[in-house]
Parts: sequence; structure tokens; C-alpha cells
Amino acid sequence: MKISLNWLKDYIKLDIKKDELSCKLTMAGLEVEAVTSVGADTVFELEITPNRPDCLNMLGMSREVSAILNKPRKTPTISSRKKIKDKCDITIDKDCGCARYIGTLIENVKVGKTPDWIKKRIEALGLRSINNVVDITNFTLMEMGQPLHAFDYDKLIGGKIIVRRAKKGEKIVTIDEEERELDPSILVIADDKRPVAIAGVMGGKETEVTSRTKNILLESAYFDPILIRRASRKLGLTSDSSYRFERGVFFDAVETGSTRAIDLILESLGGVITKTTDLIAYKLSKKPNNVTLSLEAINSFLGSALTLKNCTSVLNNLGFIVSTSGRDKIKTTAPLFREDIKQVVDVIEEIARIVGFGNIPSSLPFIKASNILPDESRIKRERLRDVLISSGLNEIVTYSLISKKNLEQFNQSVDFLSIINPLTQDQEVMRPTMLPSMLSVASGNINKKQKDIKLFEIGKTYGKDKEKEVLSIIMSGQVLEDWRQLSKKDCDYYDIKGCLEQAIKRVGVRELKFCNSQHQFLEAGVQASVMFKDKAIGCVGQVSDEVLKRWGIKQGNVFFAEVILDKILEIQNKKKSYKTITEYPSIVYDISLAVDKKIRFSQIKEIAFELGTDILFDVQFKEEYLGDKIANNMRGVIFSLTYQSPTKTLTEQEVSLVHNKINQELINRLSAIKR
Amino acid sequence: MNWNFDEIIQQIGQEQQLIASLSELESFRIKYLGKKGLIVDIYASLSSASNEDKPVIGKNVNILKNKLAGFIDGKKKELVDQKKKDSVSEIDITIPGVAPSVGHKHLLTQTIDEICELFKNLGFVIQEGPEIETEFNNFDALNIPSNHPSRDGFDTFYVDKKDPDNKKGNLLLRSQTSPVQIRVMQKYKPPLAVIVPGKVYRPDALDASHSFMFHQIEGLLVDKNVKFSDLKGLLEAFCKRLFGKNIKMRFRPHFFPFTEPSAEVDISWESGKKDWLEIMGCGMVHPNVFKAVGYKEGQYTGLAFGLGVERIAMLKYGIKDIRTFVENDNRFLKQF
Repeated sequence: MKISLNWLKDYIKLDIKKDELSCKLTMAGLEVEAVTSVGADTVFELEITPNRPDCLNMLGMSREVSAILNKPRKTPTISSRKKIKDKCDITIDKDCGCARYIGTLIENVKVGKTPDWIKKRIEALGLRSINNVVDITNFTLMEMGQPLHAFDYDKLIGGKIIVRRAKKGEKIVTIDEEERELDPSILVIADDKRPVAIAGVMGGKETEVTSRTKNILLESAYFDPILIRRASRKLGLTSDSSYRFERGVFFDAVETGSTRAIDLILESLGGVITKTTDLIAYKLSKKPNNVTLSLEAINSFLGSALTLKNCTSVLNNLGFIVSTSGRDKIKTTAPLFREDIKQVVDVIEEIARIVGFGNIPSSLPFIKASNILPDESRIKRERLRDVLISSGLNEIVTYSLISKKNLEQFNQSVDFLSIINPLTQDQEVMRPTMLPSMLSVASGNINKKQKDIKLFEIGKTYGKDKEKEVLSIIMSGQVLEDWRQLSKKDCDYYDIKGCLEQAIKRVGVRELKFCNSQHQFLEAGVQASVMFKDKAIGCVGQVSDEVLKRWGIKQGNVFFAEVILDKILEIQNKKKSYKTITEYPSIVYDISLAVDKKIRFSQIKEIAFELGTDILFDVQFKEEYLGDKIANNMRGVIFSLTYQSPTKTLTEQEVSLVHNKINQELINRLSAIKR
Repeated sequence: MNWNFDEIIQQIGQEQQLIASLSELESFRIKYLGKKGLIVDIYASLSSASNEDKPVIGKNVNILKNKLAGFIDGKKKELVDQKKKDSVSEIDITIPGVAPSVGHKHLLTQTIDEICELFKNLGFVIQEGPEIETEFNNFDALNIPSNHPSRDGFDTFYVDKKDPDNKKGNLLLRSQTSPVQIRVMQKYKPPLAVIVPGKVYRPDALDASHSFMFHQIEGLLVDKNVKFSDLKGLLEAFCKRLFGKNIKMRFRPHFFPFTEPSAEVDISWESGKKDWLEIMGCGMVHPNVFKAVGYKEGQYTGLAFGLGVERIAMLKYGIKDIRTFVENDNRFLKQF
């Protein structure tokens, strides 16, 4: 909203620099966004907060300035006129959203040039001068905040005004010469046959006042703010009027605004009022808000040391009726246009704002120890994040909203939550999996020649029932950067599995299992379901070529993992207790076997521990061989078994006994061949 | 076997001249004094030598051995000394070391951590809440009237799931972290001091400074006699810790439905120049909010504040486009 400095000076004697005034307005909650020179005038562009519709006009702003600078102000005199008996033909449809409508018929006006002083004022605020009638309605709007509209009375079919909802399919050409289609959610002003204005938003072309207009019907009304806001949004059309109606105009200004405009019209256009109607469909509450408070309450709430005089003077300047009793009590009655003042804090805020927040001292709060326990789940998530970062993965943050298309791109039919009102197709769906997000980031990086990526996100996925905490990892390219090429190799299933296992282990969970799976979006045979307590909580594997192709990723080895963390974060970790490090030496024996490709290491481990008695301490996988020195359906595996006792030094003999048995049983049960 | 000691000495003399490095010296040592070196060979040959040759060979080999040992010790010292004086080292010390692979926390996480840590040190406890919220928590309880524009589909995302508390309404994606205030106050009685990080959603078109998803951090302190001056002091302490001691700050009156008085906090880096940057919103908890969570009227006062994490990170690190954070370019991730 714009205000003019010269216009302000019509009400208050000002000798303040424009920058200083601008700063003072901003610091009183009336934020100045720009200060510009328009001819000899200075214009401030303000951002008025939605709770202050009373500031959306010059008079309202002059009241604020008077309070801020503590200076007296004058207001224009508005005539009181004798009531005219003849009524205009005006009806308001029941419950249509118009609270009050004043129509005044002024006959024999001379439409023409606008008086210079009015023209100067409205042009400073960026309005184009049209003719004296339109300019006067605009002037009054800017001065008092009451939107007005003048119709060419002779063009109103039947000489009638009906305030009603638009009919479906009804159309109107507005004064900006656009044809607009209406519907019953939109309030219109109509004559006998058609809409002649979109109520509170914009008038119609056909009934606008032109140089040939002889008789005008001046409208001053109160329209429901929500109705106007929705109409304005729906039509994509805002105006100075709709801006004010949306925020709520002052009910009483319907009358004073109308009178002020009529004063100006009669003064400069001549004409005679022949008919007038003031219809009130429903009254807006007109009870003044009384708030009583004490100086002590004000100061203890603000932490300030204000005097009674400080407070009363601010409130008086803002138009409150104030009385004090004793040394402490302040009784206030808020002006009617201040509907935002309802309780003690509202009055305190007014005082604080005008005194200036900068003039209220600062203190450090006394923060007591809290009985709120820290969030265990968050602490574990942080731990997980730290472990993954120390494992060399970079953390990413991606959008939780994705497009439906993205979801279809990896052949998965899952339940998902939709957004009812997405802004674009990219935000239709709450992601039920992180895969699309991860692939988008991978694809973005790979296309920018960032081929070696190791990324993770701890975020959320969303099902129909609830949102879940999820960890997701994506890897591609080479694992390590080493110019010596000591460990140069492309990442594989075991790299991503290792990251996942290590991280989950570090939050105290050792029970993860990996089972065969058939996820469509993962390469067959290079994937697993991640199991926790016999429930699948995620997957890990190589992303299928088909999916990669859809995402435009030309690099082959992309590995993905996703694990729902909720269950993992929930479990109460067992109390950790120290295990004595045994002083007795361990004996390590390797076993090298050729086994069928379908035999899993987990089977080997199981058998080993079954037969290992209490001296088998650990089974470590050491090597896998898939070369041509072995039968096609076989693979070579080497693993080492560590034997140790916490109570004595083991003899080679007793270890050999157990070890040979394990070795033999593995060969027997798994049809393995010794290598 | 006959040993021509003159020839050997001559040969050794020539080789000695050529030694220029410790590794060459070591090869030389092995060749002559090593376990399979010449000296061992000569000693070994003594057993098969004739009785008259024995003392001669024995004497000569002892001399030779001592000479060699003396030479090696001397040369070694010389070479080490020389190496110490050398300005260019033997290995190329400028080739980058091979760094153990350690990843990077996302800058947004780092910023959230930094801010939460500051408040944790002041006695605040971190709390979180769900992203899918009820209208009650996101609006009603926060004193946002049912006809408020922010409830429109233009300003809040709604999901196709019914609100269990309001069968007519749908659940929504929280448009602010403030609903967690409500959850915390419903669960605990004051005194309470919580700090709430999280994602929030608003249907804003994507551009350099707007996103439909961003991160907020919300703070809430409720107790008897929390004052407006406490709000000022707390946030002054916070901003100085986050942005440096020399920043300027101002509290500019503003409007939020859930606080009163409400303010926006501006900071300015340079003294003198009046270039204010808005960094957060704050205020005293509105009595209607206390009412909504069932606190007795007038029993408590409180302060609350909220800030946009992306905005803070952009200001702090000079990032011009908010989309940078979610693009996740590896080169961006590795910078921080």
C-alpha cells in the first residue's frame, strides 16, 4: 500500500526527514518497503500486516504517524445531510454476503476534468486520472479506505440494483475490457438483466461513468471479506477495492465514505441528490472492546519501566478512550475500527510498538532444568548419520513430494498418499519410497560428470497409514579415491551392504538378515531383502538396467539400499556390558572349499558354529573365487576360523579335533570339494 | 682359492666412488658384508686354503672387512648429513596424501545442528513432530481463524486422508513447525524449553528464493513470568553466537496469529550501512494458544520464535539459489 508524504501533511504538521519517518514507520510495525519521489511528493510503499485493515488509507496512517511522533492531527469535516425520502430500487439477496449497501442517485452531474488537488493526490499513489467521478471515488478510497463505485444510472436496466450471487455461466466485461465468466461463488451487483459489477472487485464496462453520463448511482457497501478474497483469487483479479474488502473495511465507513465522496462530487460536479437508500442486511458487531489493565502488568510482561503517562499518551493518540484510576489502573476502550484489540496483550502490544521495541530492555531468561526426556530415536538417527559420514558417504536432502510419473518409472505398485492440491505434477505424491529421489540425484550428478558417488539420506517416506523414518543409500562408480591405485575398483553389492550393516550395527542392532528377494527395480540375482526380526524392513541391491535407462543413467553399476528405521529406532538397546578380553592365545585355521554356487556363506557359518563347541570364537569370510580354475557351477570360498577359550590355552590337538570335524562335515553336508 | 686382494680393493674403490644414495650404500653393504657377501665367501674359503695362505688371507680379509665397515659407517653419516641438508626431499612430498574416505554432512543438517546446539547449551531440549498434521494443530490451536487465507489450498498442501479429529477436514502437510508447540504443551506442563527442527511445506512456485519444501527451527519457552525482554535477550545472545559478536540487530513489530506482541528480527553485518536482513519471526505466546492446550488463563507466559534454515544458510554461506540444497551436486556436498 502506498501513502503520500504531501497528503499526510494535509493532516499533520511534519518536519521530519523522509528516511527518518520511513524508519519510524517500519519500527512501529508499518514496514516501509520502498521510498520513491513522485514529482514534488514522496511516496512510501508499505507492507501492512493483515490484522491492520484500518491502516490501509491515508487517515488511518495519519493516526499512526500522530501516535508515533506524538503530534496532533486534523481530519476532514464530513457534512451531515438531511435524509432524502425517495428510495433507489435496491435489493440484497438473502445471505448472499453483502452486509450493507448505500446507494445514492445524483442527477445532472457534469462529468469532466478533475480538480488539480485531487488529481495530484491520486496520481502520486500511482492511480491514473479518468474523470472527476471516478477520481473522486478513488480519492475517497485512498483517504478513508472505503471502496466506492459509481454507475451510469441511465445504463442500469430497469434502474435497479440487485446484490446477488452470479448465475452459472453468466459473463461480464469488466472495465479493463476483459470478459470474465462468473459462477455462484462470486457476488455480483446486477441490474434487472445482467451483472454490472463484480462486487468489491471491479465494475462493468457497460455501466461505467463516461463523459456523456448525466446521472450517477454511487455505491458504498460492505461485502464479506472471504467471499471477495475467493472471487479475486478465482478470477485472478485484484484491485485496490478487493485488497481492502478482503482485509475487512470498517462497517461505519460505508456511510462516512459515501458522504465524503458525495461532498466532493457536489462540490466539483454540481448535481442534486434525488434518491438514497441505506440497506443493512446484517449488522457487524458494534460493541466497543473494553480492556482494563494495570501498569504493573504491562511492565512485568514487557520487562520494562514505563510510566502511566507513557502508556496513556500512546493509547490516546491511537484513538483509544483512556481513563486511569489510582496509580496503576488503566481502563481503555478501543476505537471501533480496531477490531484486533480484544484483550490485555493486544493493548500491551500497541504500547510496546509505539514506545518502540528498541526502547524495551533485554534480559536473559531464567531457563529451568526440564523434565522432557531427550528423543532417543533422534539420538540414534544422529548416530547413524555420523557413522555413515565416517564411512565416506555424503549426506543429501531431497524433496518428499514426487510426481506420479516418477513412481511408475520403476514398476512398483505401492500404496501412496496423494496431495489434493499440488501446484505442479512434480508434487502430486508423498513418496512411498526414496528410490525416485535417490535416482534423480544420482542421474543429476552422473550427467554432470560426477561419476563416483556415495550418497545417503535419512528422511521420511509416507504410506497410507503413517510417515516412516527411512535410511537410503545410493552408490555408483569407484569406491575410493587413491592416486596410487592401490584400491581402485568399482563399487559392488558388498560395498553398499557393508555401509548399511556397519551403520545399523553401530546403533546397537546386530540382528539384520539378508534374504533372497525379487524386487522389480533391482537386478535379478544381485539383490536382497533386509530382514529385522523376521520382518522385511528394506532392500539392497543393484538397480536394474531398465530402471537406469528410464532415469537416463548410462553408468551401469548403481547400487541402492533402503531401510525403514522405525523398528530399529524403537527397540530398547540391551545394556552393553564389557566382555573380558581373553589373555589366552587364539588359533586361526583357514578352510578352502569349492562349493556349489547356490550354497550361501550363512549356511557354512551355521554348520561351523553348530559343531564348533565352545571354542569356536569367530568365522571370517576371506576370499571368493569365480575363475576358470573351478567347475562352472562351483565357486571357491576361503574363510578362517578363530578358536579361543576364555579359560585356558588351547592345545593344537583339541583345536584340530574340532576343526577337522567342521571341515569334514562341511564337505559332507554341502557336497563341497576341498581345494 | 686365490684371492687377489689388490684387485678387490681396486674394484671396491671404484664402486665406492659411485655411491650417491643410502639405498646404493645398502646394496654395496649387502654385496660385501651381507650374509652372502664377499667377506663371508672369503672366510668360508679359509677352510680349504693351504696352511701357508691361511694367515695371509686371514690378515687381508680382516683388514678389508674393517675398511669396508669403516667406509660404510662414514659414508652413511655423510649421506644422512647430506640428506638432512638437501632442500628437496627424496619423495615428492607435494603429491596429495591419500585421505581416508570421510563423507560430508549436508549443509542444511550442519546448520540445523549448529542452531540446535546453541539452544541446547542454553537449556532447550530438541523435540520433533510429524509432517502430516491436523488442522487443529497447524491452525486452530495456533489462533489461526477458520477463514484465514493461509488455510486455503493456495497456501497449504492437503493430503487425501481424513483428519481423525475432524471428519470433514483432510490432513495437511504442516506449513510451519509451530504445531509441535501444541503437541509439546499438550504432553508436558511448564516449565518447558524446546527447540524443534523439521521440514515444512507450502505450495510456493519454485524459484531462486522459494521452495515448496523447506526446513524450519522453532523455539518455545514457557514458564511463569517469561517476559518480552527475555525474548529480546535470548535472541540477541543467539544471533551473536550464530552470526558473530559485531552484528547489529533490531526487533521490528510484526503480526503472527500465535504470538502477541510479535516481531521480526533483522540483522545487519556492516556497521553504519543500513542493510537489514530479516532472519526470523518471534513473539510472546498468544493467550489463545495457551487456552487451546488447556493451560489455565494467566498462569504462564511464554516466548516463541521460528526461523527458516535455508534462509540462514544462504545468508551465512552466500548461496544465491535455494534449489542448490536439493540439487545435491557432489561438488556442493563436498564443499561443506
